[in-house]
Amino acid sequence: MKRYLILEDGTVFPGEGFGSSIITTGQLVISNNRTGIEQSVTDPNAEGQIIAFTIPSVGSSGINRDFYESINSQCKGVVIGSSSISTVDNSVSFEDWITSLRIPGIKNVDIRALSRHIAEHGEMKASIMDTHDEHAIDQIKALVLPPDLVKRVSTRQSYPNPNMGRKIVIVDLGLKYSILRQLSYRDCNSVIVNYNSTAKEIENLHPDGIIYSNGPGNPQDLPNVIKSIQVLQKKYPILGIGLGNLLIALANDCQIEKLTTPHHESSLAVKEVASGKIDFVNHNHSYTLDQKYIGSSDFIVTNICVADGTIEGIRHEYLPIMGVLFEPEAAPGPTDGYYVFDEFIDLIDSVKQQEGAGSQWN
Amino acid sequence: MAKEIIDGQTMTRALTRITYEIIERNKGIEDLVLVGIKTRGVFVAHRIESRLKQLENISIPVAELDITPYRDDKTHEEKDISNVKTQPLDIDINNKHIILTDDVLYTGRTIRAAMDALMSAGRPKKISLAVLVDRGHRELPIRADFVGKNIPTSQKEKIKVSMKEIDGEDKIEIE
Repeated sequence: MKRYLILEDGTVFPGEGFGSSIITTGQLVISNNRTGIEQSVTDPNAEGQIIAFTIPSVGSSGINRDFYESINSQCKGVVIGSSSISTVDNSVSFEDWITSLRIPGIKNVDIRALSRHIAEHGEMKASIMDTHDEHAIDQIKALVLPPDLVKRVSTRQSYPNPNMGRKIVIVDLGLKYSILRQLSYRDCNSVIVNYNSTAKEIENLHPDGIIYSNGPGNPQDLPNVIKSIQVLQKKYPILGIGLGNLLIALANDCQIEKLTTPHHESSLAVKEVASGKIDFVNHNHSYTLDQKYIGSSDFIVTNICVADGTIEGIRHEYLPIMGVLFEPEAAPGPTDGYYVFDEFIDLIDSVKQQEGAGSQWN
Repeated sequence: MAKEIIDGQTMTRALTRITYEIIERNKGIEDLVLVGIKTRGVFVAHRIESRLKQLENISIPVAELDITPYRDDKTHEEKDISNVKTQPLDIDINNKHIILTDDVLYTGRTIRAAMDALMSAGRPKKISLAVLVDRGHRELPIRADFVGKNIPTSQKEKIKVSMKEIDGEDKIEIE
């Protein structure tokens, strides 16, 4: 069935439809992920997004049921050049899998031309449709993407991820299950709460540390979360990942900006400023911290992207707050970033030790 | 048989964490001086210094300290301080916050000797201690402020720290 990918600026890419046959609209994101396609599609960050995979033969690395990042997929559509069946196991084919998730897809699209177009003109809205007349283009131009992406992916009710270790409260802004996997691996006794939980509600859980998770959308749409960070950061160690990191920055008078070349790639080099160590980690963010404000703030830059110098990690100078913009839990991508979780646990322990030592420090 | 318990990557991470903690607990690092106890403590000091420079863009002084004349297992004549020819430190430590660094904290006797050496060179405002490994079994009331890794040991065991600058690779072994 012939279908069309129509961009906000009127550009049309013809292709062949697969998966669900509904008409879909969302933010078009170019993803350079080579493996872990199932992780990208089920990632709650993909809420409201149409993902275009630039690799050929999507699905050749298999669809691994152990790697889903949420129960229901939030992705609004997928755009691919070609797909193939798995060459590593006999799992379900990519197209059948997308069909079973009832996600609309479009294949045989000139994905390289699309990728170049987006690189030149920036991220934009897009639609997968059956026609490409004037009316369709007007429709997508007029469409306003909903700002409540986090509300739609955040858990409505708190739930525990029990274990016997340190108690972590995770504020779910679009939590990937791999964050929980990493915490479980470190025996953390965690509770996952709704993004709108008040500072008081979180305090009542008596956490050892708080994690603000990754998530979709613009952090400026979440003023309540910023307010609760401002209260909680004086009392508890905090780790921000992705969107969580941006919110921490906004809570401390830093500004954010939209990246001209957004980072959506499973393996991009990041340098640890202190030691010069290079880590390859998964990136999935369109915003970054504004360099102009970081100098006068209380943050020090701990990680930067090697390719374009973007700030990728910060740490507060005297409060136990740290944040990374990349995704340390990988999923998909190399596992170099796992150390961020160890570092956060070290931070929690060091805060506890200092409290025990009383007035020993300064 | 020696068994590697900490690899190069973990050692790098521990040193980075110590650096972050030094920044967090000292609002401003301007009056800091790093003093490394010879031999491997000096390398620990230099590595912390380079991290601080990368992060805060401030270069803080690093000094090397030879504690041999101050050891408590010397005979009386050897110990005579007046025989010490060179000044133990080549920088002014008066009114500075000194961060003393060493590779392993064990009985605490080395640190006591180091403090003696420092006191004979001036009057620092404060002395803190940063070590890569704390293996326990203290014989003096001394405690580290910044610890890379706590490694519980028995007194029969030996901890061997290797550092790239002198041993060719970073690792910590137990035997």
